[in-house]
Amino acid sequence: MSYDVEIVRQGLNALFDLKGKPAAIQSWAGDVLPTWPERPNSRSGQDAVELYHIGRNHWIARAALDQEVKLGEHLRPTDCPADISIVQVSDTLTFFRVTGPHADEVMSIACPLDFHETEFSEDAVTYSELFSLKALVMRCKGGFEFAVEQSFGDMVEDYLSRATA
Amino acid sequence: MLIPCPFCGERSESEFIYGGPVGADRPDPNTVSDAEWVEYLTVAPNPLGPVHERWWHARGCGEWLAIWRDTRTHDIVEAPDDSK
Repeated sequence: MSYDVEIVRQGLNALFDLKGKPAAIQSWAGDVLPTWPERPNSRSGQDAVELYHIGRNHWIARAALDQEVKLGEHLRPTDCPADISIVQVSDTLTFFRVTGPHADEVMSIACPLDFHETEFSEDAVTYSELFSLKALVMRCKGGFEFAVEQSFGDMVEDYLSRATA
Repeated sequence: MLIPCPFCGERSESEFIYGGPVGADRPDPNTVSDAEWVEYLTVAPNPLGPVHERWWHARGCGEWLAIWRDTRTHDIVEAPDDSK
């Protein structure tokens, strides 16, 4: 069976891994970050910077790659106080987009999450497994977006093409 | 098996890594016999019924959690009354 999907490997994004109490991070980062996501495994966004709540006191800030320098100047990862951690991880993840009428079926081949909208809502973002790899999974317009560790990018691209052939 | 993560909710077992049994508290090696010390180090609980286990949500949020799992059915169950 072939699937009606489009699979696109994305370019790099500006990514910063944030750990610590929200108040401590907010006081250090100022207004460069959007409002904090209200629920675990959800996201918020403003001015092209998105914030993913992906663990207890753990977030990922994501923006377009051309925002990386500006975001880095605001977050100052190497100077941050000891009670928080900010690490630039832009080159560690490869993002893919799976869009189209069968996007949920293709994602279900690879990932054990329930992708029905009632279970995996519009603002959902979570780490899960994808082809047995740890992957950051979320919705995007017309389908799903996920990220795996950069070094697995070629392998996942191959797996996806075989799964949808 | 679906494992309840305190951060993410119920997730597939495949996202987790088994972290071993929740064992007895570490005894003071200076006050226990050699046999008791070896028992503590090497003998894992293996009951027919509820067993207390640690699991790591390694392919998820990274939380460590402890659950009671019934070894006969793999159901995640309430802690037995005599465990507290």
